Amino acid sequence: MLFRVDVAAAEPLADQIAAQVRGGIMRGELAAGERLPAARELAEVLDVNLHTVLRAYGQLRDEDLIELRRGRGAMVRGDADAARLRLAELARDFVREARRQGLGETEMLEIVKGARP
Amino acid sequence: MRRLWTAAAAVWLPVVVTAATAGWRDELPERIATHWSGSGPADGWSSTTGFWLAMLVAGLVSGIAALAAAATATRSNAQPADRVRRMAAARGVVIGAASVSGGAAGVWVATATATLADPADPRLGWRFGWFVLGMAWGLAAWLIAGRTPEIDVPAEPPVDALDLAPTERAAFSTTLRSNLMFGLMLATSAVLAVTALLTQPVLWLAAPIPLLLGLVFARIRVTADRRGLRLVAGLAGVPFKRIPLDQIRTAEAAEINPAEWGGWGYRVLPGRSALVLRGGRGLVLHLRDGRRFAVTMDDPRTPAALLNGLTANH
Repeated sequence: MLFRVDVAAAEPLADQIAAQVRGGIMRGELAAGERLPAARELAEVLDVNLHTVLRAYGQLRDEDLIELRRGRGAMVRGDADAARLRLAELARDFVREARRQGLGETEMLEIVKGARP
Repeated sequence: MRRLWTAAAAVWLPVVVTAATAGWRDELPERIATHWSGSGPADGWSSTTGFWLAMLVAGLVSGIAALAAAATATRSNAQPADRVRRMAAARGVVIGAASVSGGAAGVWVATATATLADPADPRLGWRFGWFVLGMAWGLAAWLIAGRTPEIDVPAEPPVDALDLAPTERAAFSTTLRSNLMFGLMLATSAVLAVTALLTQPVLWLAAPIPLLLGLVFARIRVTADRRGLRLVAGLAGVPFKRIPLDQIRTAEAAEINPAEWGGWGYRVLPGRSALVLRGGRGLVLHLRDGRRFAVTMDDPRTPAALLNGLTANH
Protein backbone atom coordinates (compact mmCIF):
# COMPACT_ATOMS: atom_id res chain seq x y z
CA MET A 1 0.00 0.00 0.00
CA LEU A 2 0.96 3.62 -0.50
CA PHE A 3 1.87 5.87 2.42
CA ARG A 4 1.53 9.50 1.45
CA VAL A 5 1.94 12.41 3.87
CA ASP A 6 2.13 16.15 3.48
CA VAL A 7 4.39 17.93 5.95
CA ALA A 8 2.67 21.25 5.14
CA ALA A 9 -0.86 19.98 5.96
CA ALA A 10 -2.63 21.09 9.13
CA GLU A 11 -3.37 17.49 10.17
CA PRO A 12 -0.60 16.06 12.36
CA LEU A 13 1.74 13.67 10.51
CA ALA A 14 0.98 10.77 12.87
CA ASP A 15 -2.75 11.16 12.14
CA GLN A 16 -2.01 11.22 8.41
CA ILE A 17 -0.03 7.96 8.62
CA ALA A 18 -2.70 6.29 10.77
CA ALA A 19 -5.38 7.41 8.29
CA GLN A 20 -3.44 5.82 5.41
CA VAL A 21 -3.32 2.48 7.22
CA ARG A 22 -7.06 2.68 8.00
CA GLY A 23 -7.71 3.41 4.33
CA GLY A 24 -5.55 0.45 3.34
CA ILE A 25 -7.56 -1.87 5.60
CA MET A 26 -10.89 -0.45 4.37
CA ARG A 27 -9.93 -0.90 0.71
CA GLY A 28 -8.71 -4.42 1.38
CA GLU A 29 -5.10 -3.61 0.41
CA LEU A 30 -3.97 -4.63 3.88
CA ALA A 31 -5.23 -8.10 4.69
CA ALA A 32 -5.31 -9.65 8.13
CA GLY A 33 -1.84 -10.78 9.16
CA GLU A 34 -0.13 -8.38 6.75
CA ARG A 35 2.93 -6.77 8.25
CA LEU A 36 3.36 -2.99 8.21
CA PRO A 37 6.80 -1.57 7.44
CA ALA A 38 9.07 -1.36 10.47
CA ALA A 39 8.56 2.02 12.18
CA ARG A 40 12.24 2.93 11.82
CA GLU A 41 12.22 2.14 8.10
CA LEU A 42 8.97 4.01 7.40
CA ALA A 43 10.26 7.04 9.34
CA GLU A 44 13.44 6.98 7.26
CA VAL A 45 11.80 6.75 3.84
CA LEU A 46 9.09 9.31 4.65
CA ASP A 47 11.73 11.53 6.25
CA VAL A 48 9.72 11.98 9.45
CA ASN A 49 10.58 11.47 13.10
CA LEU A 50 10.58 7.87 14.38
CA HIS A 51 8.26 8.92 17.23
CA THR A 52 5.73 10.22 14.70
CA VAL A 53 5.43 6.75 13.15
CA LEU A 54 5.39 5.10 16.59
CA ARG A 55 2.57 7.44 17.63
CA ALA A 56 0.61 6.52 14.49
CA TYR A 57 1.12 2.78 15.13
CA GLY A 58 0.15 3.33 18.78
CA GLN A 59 -3.13 4.96 17.69
CA LEU A 60 -3.90 2.03 15.42
CA ARG A 61 -3.16 -0.44 18.22
CA ASP A 62 -5.51 1.47 20.55
CA GLU A 63 -8.18 1.19 17.86
CA ASP A 64 -7.64 -2.62 17.83
CA LEU A 65 -6.57 -2.51 14.18
CA ILE A 66 -2.98 -3.67 14.52
CA GLU A 67 -0.88 -5.69 16.92
CA LEU A 68 2.48 -4.40 18.07
CA ARG A 69 4.96 -7.01 19.22
CA ARG A 70 8.50 -6.44 20.27
CA GLY A 71 10.84 -7.73 17.62
CA ARG A 72 8.03 -8.71 15.25
CA GLY A 73 6.83 -5.25 14.32
CA ALA A 74 3.30 -4.16 13.47
CA MET A 75 0.79 -6.60 12.03
CA VAL A 76 -2.80 -6.08 10.89
CA ARG A 77 -5.07 -7.91 13.34
CA GLY A 78 -7.14 -10.84 12.15
CA ASP A 79 -10.30 -9.28 13.56
CA ALA A 80 -9.69 -5.81 12.05
CA ASP A 81 -13.23 -4.99 10.95
CA ALA A 82 -13.38 -2.95 7.70
CA ALA A 83 -17.13 -2.22 8.00
CA ARG A 84 -16.87 -0.95 11.57
CA LEU A 85 -13.79 1.00 10.57
CA ARG A 86 -15.78 2.80 7.87
CA LEU A 87 -18.37 3.82 10.49
CA ALA A 88 -15.64 5.06 12.80
CA GLU A 89 -14.23 7.16 9.95
CA LEU A 90 -17.67 8.68 9.27
CA ALA A 91 -18.09 9.38 13.00
CA ARG A 92 -14.68 11.06 13.07
CA ASP A 93 -15.68 13.34 10.17
CA PHE A 94 -19.00 14.05 11.87
CA VAL A 95 -17.37 14.99 15.18
CA ARG A 96 -14.80 17.18 13.41
CA GLU A 97 -17.51 19.11 11.57
CA ALA A 98 -19.70 19.36 14.69
CA ARG A 99 -16.76 20.76 16.71
CA ARG A 100 -16.10 23.25 13.93
CA GLN A 101 -19.71 24.40 14.24
CA GLY A 102 -19.23 24.76 17.98
CA LEU A 103 -21.55 21.92 19.02
CA GLY A 104 -21.11 20.13 22.36
CA GLU A 105 -21.33 16.41 23.10
CA THR A 106 -25.04 16.45 24.07
CA GLU A 107 -25.98 18.23 20.85
CA MET A 108 -23.97 15.76 18.77
CA LEU A 109 -25.67 12.79 20.44
CA GLU A 110 -29.05 14.39 19.82
CA ILE A 111 -28.29 14.76 16.12
CA VAL A 112 -27.21 11.09 15.96
CA LYS A 113 -30.40 9.98 17.75
CA GLY A 114 -32.49 12.20 15.48
CA ALA A 115 -30.88 10.59 12.41
CA ARG A 116 -32.62 7.29 13.21
CA PRO A 117 -35.47 6.60 10.80
CA MET B 1 -12.63 -27.46 -21.30
CA ARG B 2 -14.41 -30.76 -22.00
CA ARG B 3 -11.48 -31.85 -24.15
CA LEU B 4 -9.04 -31.16 -21.32
CA TRP B 5 -11.07 -33.37 -18.95
CA THR B 6 -11.20 -36.10 -21.60
CA ALA B 7 -7.41 -35.91 -22.03
CA ALA B 8 -6.97 -36.08 -18.25
CA ALA B 9 -9.21 -39.16 -18.15
CA ALA B 10 -7.15 -40.72 -20.96
CA VAL B 11 -4.09 -40.56 -18.69
CA TRP B 12 -5.78 -43.34 -16.69
CA LEU B 13 -6.01 -45.80 -19.59
CA PRO B 14 -2.39 -47.04 -19.25
CA VAL B 15 -3.00 -47.36 -15.48
CA VAL B 16 -5.94 -49.66 -16.27
CA VAL B 17 -3.66 -51.72 -18.55
CA THR B 18 -1.08 -52.13 -15.76
CA ALA B 19 -3.77 -52.96 -13.21
CA ALA B 20 -5.56 -55.40 -15.52
CA THR B 21 -2.38 -57.36 -16.21
CA ALA B 22 -1.68 -57.89 -12.49
CA GLY B 23 -2.49 -61.57 -13.10
CA TRP B 24 0.74 -61.98 -15.13
CA ARG B 25 2.58 -61.95 -11.84
CA ASP B 26 1.21 -65.46 -11.08
CA GLU B 27 2.76 -66.83 -14.26
CA LEU B 28 6.03 -64.95 -13.84
CA PRO B 29 8.94 -66.01 -11.62
CA GLU B 30 9.58 -64.08 -8.40
CA ARG B 31 12.21 -61.94 -10.09
CA ILE B 32 12.08 -60.81 -13.69
CA ALA B 33 14.57 -59.32 -16.11
CA THR B 34 14.17 -55.56 -16.16
CA HIS B 35 17.30 -54.31 -17.84
CA TRP B 36 18.96 -55.05 -21.15
CA SER B 37 21.92 -53.55 -22.93
CA GLY B 38 21.32 -53.55 -26.66
CA SER B 39 19.84 -56.74 -28.13
CA GLY B 40 21.79 -59.14 -25.90
CA PRO B 41 20.61 -61.11 -22.87
CA ALA B 42 19.21 -59.38 -19.79
CA ASP B 43 21.70 -57.86 -17.33
CA GLY B 44 19.39 -56.61 -14.58
CA TRP B 45 16.60 -58.21 -12.53
CA SER B 46 13.97 -56.90 -10.09
CA SER B 47 11.25 -58.28 -7.84
CA THR B 48 8.23 -58.90 -10.07
CA THR B 49 5.62 -57.50 -7.69
CA GLY B 50 7.82 -54.56 -6.70
CA PHE B 51 8.42 -53.65 -10.33
CA TRP B 52 4.73 -53.96 -11.20
CA LEU B 53 3.79 -51.85 -8.18
CA ALA B 54 6.34 -49.14 -9.06
CA MET B 55 4.91 -48.84 -12.58
CA LEU B 56 1.34 -48.81 -11.21
CA VAL B 57 2.19 -46.05 -8.72
CA ALA B 58 3.91 -43.99 -11.45
CA GLY B 59 0.70 -44.25 -13.47
CA LEU B 60 -1.52 -43.42 -10.49
CA VAL B 61 0.51 -40.33 -9.58
CA SER B 62 0.39 -39.14 -13.21
CA GLY B 63 -3.36 -39.71 -13.33
CA ILE B 64 -3.97 -37.77 -10.14
CA ALA B 65 -1.69 -34.94 -11.32
CA ALA B 66 -3.62 -34.72 -14.61
CA LEU B 67 -7.00 -34.56 -12.87
CA ALA B 68 -5.72 -31.96 -10.41
CA ALA B 69 -4.38 -29.86 -13.29
CA ALA B 70 -7.70 -30.07 -15.14
CA ALA B 71 -9.55 -29.10 -11.95
CA THR B 72 -7.43 -25.99 -11.35
CA ALA B 73 -7.84 -24.95 -14.99
CA THR B 74 -11.62 -25.16 -14.83
CA ARG B 75 -12.05 -23.06 -11.71
CA SER B 76 -14.25 -20.28 -13.03
CA ASN B 77 -13.60 -17.36 -10.72
CA ALA B 78 -10.45 -16.18 -12.50
CA GLN B 79 -9.96 -13.38 -15.03
CA PRO B 80 -10.26 -14.47 -18.70
CA ALA B 81 -6.51 -13.99 -19.27
CA ASP B 82 -5.73 -15.98 -16.12
CA ARG B 83 -8.01 -18.79 -17.23
CA VAL B 84 -6.32 -19.00 -20.62
CA ARG B 85 -2.95 -19.11 -18.91
CA ARG B 86 -4.11 -21.81 -16.50
CA MET B 87 -5.58 -23.81 -19.36
CA ALA B 88 -2.25 -23.71 -21.20
CA ALA B 89 -0.34 -24.81 -18.07
CA ALA B 90 -2.84 -27.59 -17.30
CA ARG B 91 -2.65 -28.81 -20.90
CA GLY B 92 1.12 -29.16 -20.55
CA VAL B 93 0.77 -31.11 -17.29
CA VAL B 94 -1.86 -33.45 -18.78
CA ILE B 95 0.26 -34.19 -21.86
CA GLY B 96 3.34 -34.84 -19.71
CA ALA B 97 1.33 -37.03 -17.33
CA ALA B 98 -0.07 -39.07 -20.23
CA SER B 99 3.46 -39.67 -21.49
CA VAL B 100 4.72 -40.80 -18.06
CA SER B 101 1.65 -42.94 -17.41
CA GLY B 102 1.88 -44.54 -20.87
CA GLY B 103 5.63 -45.03 -20.56
CA ALA B 104 5.26 -46.79 -17.18
CA ALA B 105 2.61 -49.15 -18.55
CA GLY B 106 4.79 -49.74 -21.63
CA VAL B 107 7.79 -50.68 -19.48
CA TRP B 108 5.67 -53.17 -17.53
CA VAL B 109 4.14 -54.75 -20.64
CA ALA B 110 7.52 -54.94 -22.45
CA THR B 111 9.43 -56.55 -19.55
CA ALA B 112 6.62 -58.87 -18.49
CA THR B 113 5.92 -60.18 -22.00
CA ALA B 114 9.66 -60.66 -22.61
CA THR B 115 9.87 -63.07 -19.66
CA LEU B 116 6.52 -64.68 -20.46
CA ALA B 117 7.71 -65.42 -24.01
CA ASP B 118 10.94 -67.09 -22.92
CA PRO B 119 11.46 -67.40 -19.14
CA ALA B 120 14.87 -69.01 -19.61
CA ASP B 121 16.43 -66.30 -21.77
CA PRO B 122 14.18 -63.21 -21.93
CA ARG B 123 15.05 -60.86 -24.77
CA LEU B 124 13.66 -57.32 -25.06
CA GLY B 125 14.09 -56.89 -28.83
CA TRP B 126 11.09 -55.46 -30.60
CA ARG B 127 9.15 -55.29 -27.32
CA PHE B 128 10.97 -52.03 -26.64
CA GLY B 129 8.26 -50.72 -28.98
CA TRP B 130 5.71 -51.11 -26.15
CA PHE B 131 7.62 -48.49 -24.19
CA VAL B 132 7.80 -46.15 -27.20
CA LEU B 133 4.10 -46.69 -27.82
CA GLY B 134 3.38 -45.91 -24.16
CA MET B 135 5.38 -42.67 -24.27
CA ALA B 136 3.47 -41.77 -27.44
CA TRP B 137 0.29 -41.79 -25.34
CA GLY B 138 1.29 -38.19 -24.57
CA LEU B 139 0.80 -37.49 -28.27
CA ALA B 140 -2.71 -38.89 -28.04
CA ALA B 141 -3.42 -36.62 -25.05
CA TRP B 142 -2.02 -33.72 -27.06
CA LEU B 143 -4.49 -34.47 -29.86
CA ILE B 144 -7.41 -34.94 -27.46
CA ALA B 145 -6.68 -31.74 -25.47
CA GLY B 146 -6.78 -29.63 -28.64
CA ARG B 147 -4.98 -26.42 -29.37
CA THR B 148 -3.91 -23.94 -26.71
CA PRO B 149 -6.31 -21.03 -26.60
CA GLU B 150 -4.77 -17.78 -27.82
CA ILE B 151 -3.85 -15.34 -25.09
CA ASP B 152 -5.18 -11.92 -25.96
CA VAL B 153 -4.32 -9.70 -23.05
CA PRO B 154 -4.87 -5.98 -23.59
CA ALA B 155 -1.67 -3.97 -23.26
CA GLU B 156 -1.33 -1.98 -20.04
CA PRO B 157 -1.63 1.77 -20.61
CA PRO B 158 1.49 3.70 -19.55
CA VAL B 159 1.63 4.71 -15.89
CA ASP B 160 1.49 8.44 -15.20
CA ALA B 161 3.87 9.79 -12.60
CA LEU B 162 2.34 10.35 -9.17
CA ASP B 163 2.08 14.10 -8.75
CA LEU B 164 3.86 14.88 -5.49
CA ALA B 165 3.87 18.40 -4.04
CA PRO B 166 7.29 19.57 -2.75
CA THR B 167 6.00 19.13 0.82
CA GLU B 168 4.67 15.62 0.19
CA ARG B 169 6.43 12.37 1.03
CA ALA B 170 5.35 8.98 -0.19
CA ALA B 171 6.42 5.36 0.21
CA PHE B 172 5.03 2.06 -1.04
CA SER B 173 5.26 -1.29 0.67
CA THR B 174 3.65 -4.63 -0.05
CA THR B 175 4.20 -8.28 0.84
CA LEU B 176 4.27 -10.95 -1.87
CA ARG B 177 3.21 -14.43 -0.85
CA SER B 178 3.82 -17.51 -2.85
CA ASN B 179 2.13 -20.55 -1.39
CA LEU B 180 2.77 -22.46 -4.61
CA MET B 181 6.55 -21.93 -4.36
CA PHE B 182 6.47 -22.82 -0.69
CA GLY B 183 4.48 -25.96 -1.41
CA LEU B 184 6.92 -26.99 -4.15
CA MET B 185 9.91 -26.47 -1.85
CA LEU B 186 8.18 -28.42 0.91
CA ALA B 187 7.43 -31.29 -1.51
CA THR B 188 11.05 -31.30 -2.76
CA SER B 189 12.30 -31.53 0.82
CA ALA B 190 9.86 -34.36 1.53
CA VAL B 191 10.97 -36.31 -1.56
CA LEU B 192 14.64 -35.82 -0.63
CA ALA B 193 13.94 -36.94 2.94
CA VAL B 194 12.12 -40.09 1.78
CA THR B 195 14.93 -40.89 -0.69
CA ALA B 196 17.48 -40.35 2.08
CA LEU B 197 15.53 -42.65 4.38
CA LEU B 198 15.21 -45.43 1.79
CA THR B 199 18.44 -45.42 -0.16
CA GLN B 200 20.84 -42.51 -0.04
CA PRO B 201 21.60 -41.35 3.53
CA VAL B 202 23.94 -38.68 2.15
CA LEU B 203 20.84 -36.81 0.92
CA TRP B 204 19.99 -35.93 4.53
CA LEU B 205 22.44 -33.07 4.07
CA ALA B 206 20.50 -31.69 1.09
CA ALA B 207 16.95 -32.37 2.33
CA PRO B 208 16.50 -29.24 4.48
CA ILE B 209 17.85 -26.84 1.84
CA PRO B 210 14.65 -26.48 -0.26
CA LEU B 211 12.64 -26.13 2.95
CA LEU B 212 14.89 -23.32 4.18
CA LEU B 213 14.73 -21.59 0.79
CA GLY B 214 10.95 -21.93 0.88
CA LEU B 215 10.76 -20.43 4.37
CA VAL B 216 13.02 -17.52 3.44
CA PHE B 217 11.29 -16.71 0.14
CA ALA B 218 7.67 -17.60 1.00
CA ARG B 219 7.12 -13.96 1.89
CA ILE B 220 8.88 -11.15 0.12
CA ARG B 221 8.49 -7.53 1.04
CA VAL B 222 8.70 -5.09 -1.85
CA THR B 223 9.25 -1.42 -1.05
CA ALA B 224 9.37 1.54 -3.42
CA ASP B 225 10.37 4.88 -1.97
CA ARG B 226 12.98 7.62 -2.17
CA ARG B 227 15.72 5.00 -1.84
CA GLY B 228 14.46 3.15 -4.92
CA LEU B 229 13.14 -0.41 -5.17
CA ARG B 230 13.98 -3.09 -2.61
CA LEU B 231 13.12 -6.75 -2.31
CA VAL B 232 13.50 -8.19 1.16
CA ALA B 233 13.25 -11.90 1.97
CA GLY B 234 10.44 -12.00 4.51
CA LEU B 235 11.51 -14.35 7.24
CA ALA B 236 15.16 -13.44 7.44
CA GLY B 237 14.68 -9.73 6.66
CA VAL B 238 17.58 -9.83 4.21
CA PRO B 239 17.41 -7.40 1.27
CA PHE B 240 18.42 -9.45 -1.77
CA LYS B 241 17.74 -6.89 -4.48
CA ARG B 242 18.26 -3.13 -4.31
CA ILE B 243 17.81 -0.75 -7.20
CA PRO B 244 18.72 2.82 -6.22
CA LEU B 245 16.29 5.48 -7.41
CA ASP B 246 18.88 7.22 -9.59
CA GLN B 247 19.30 4.03 -11.64
CA ILE B 248 15.61 3.91 -12.56
CA ARG B 249 14.59 5.61 -15.78
CA THR B 250 10.91 4.66 -15.91
CA ALA B 251 8.56 2.20 -14.29
CA GLU B 252 5.60 0.52 -15.93
CA ALA B 253 2.97 -2.12 -15.30
CA ALA B 254 2.99 -5.06 -17.70
CA GLU B 255 1.92 -8.66 -18.22
CA ILE B 256 4.69 -10.97 -17.08
CA ASN B 257 4.67 -14.22 -19.01
CA PRO B 258 7.01 -16.64 -17.20
CA ALA B 259 7.97 -18.21 -20.55
CA GLU B 260 9.35 -14.86 -21.72
CA TRP B 261 11.27 -14.22 -18.51
CA GLY B 262 12.96 -17.59 -18.23
CA GLY B 263 10.53 -19.33 -15.91
CA TRP B 264 9.53 -19.03 -12.28
CA GLY B 265 11.63 -17.83 -9.37
CA TYR B 266 14.52 -15.38 -9.49
CA ARG B 267 15.52 -15.29 -13.15
CA VAL B 268 18.59 -13.68 -14.67
CA LEU B 269 18.71 -13.29 -18.45
CA PRO B 270 21.04 -11.17 -20.58
CA GLY B 271 19.95 -7.56 -20.11
CA ARG B 272 17.17 -8.29 -17.67
CA SER B 273 16.30 -10.04 -14.45
CA ALA B 274 13.04 -10.77 -12.69
CA LEU B 275 11.37 -12.27 -9.68
CA VAL B 276 8.51 -14.29 -11.15
CA LEU B 277 6.20 -15.83 -8.56
CA ARG B 278 3.30 -16.38 -10.98
CA GLY B 279 2.12 -15.40 -14.43
CA GLY B 280 0.17 -12.14 -14.62
CA ARG B 281 0.66 -8.49 -13.83
CA GLY B 282 3.93 -7.14 -12.64
CA LEU B 283 6.08 -4.09 -12.16
CA VAL B 284 8.76 -3.56 -14.81
CA LEU B 285 11.60 -1.10 -14.28
CA HIS B 286 13.63 0.27 -17.18
CA LEU B 287 17.06 1.10 -15.79
CA ARG B 288 19.49 3.77 -16.91
CA ASP B 289 22.06 1.18 -17.99
CA GLY B 290 19.52 -0.24 -20.45
CA ARG B 291 18.61 -3.29 -18.39
CA ARG B 292 15.19 -4.21 -17.10
CA PHE B 293 13.96 -5.64 -13.82
CA ALA B 294 10.52 -7.14 -13.26
CA VAL B 295 8.63 -8.43 -10.23
CA THR B 296 5.13 -9.91 -10.30
CA MET B 297 2.53 -8.34 -8.01
CA ASP B 298 -1.20 -7.61 -7.87
CA ASP B 299 -1.18 -3.83 -8.03
CA PRO B 300 1.91 -2.76 -10.03
CA ARG B 301 0.46 0.61 -11.09
CA THR B 302 0.75 2.16 -7.62
CA PRO B 303 4.50 1.57 -7.14
CA ALA B 304 5.10 2.37 -10.84
CA ALA B 305 3.36 5.74 -10.50
CA LEU B 306 5.27 6.49 -7.29
CA LEU B 307 8.67 5.61 -8.77
CA ASN B 308 7.90 7.66 -11.90
CA GLY B 309 6.91 10.57 -9.65
CA LEU B 310 10.03 10.23 -7.49
CA THR B 311 12.41 10.01 -10.46
CA ALA B 312 10.75 13.09 -12.02
CA ASN B 313 11.33 15.09 -8.82
CA HIS B 314 14.80 13.77 -8.30
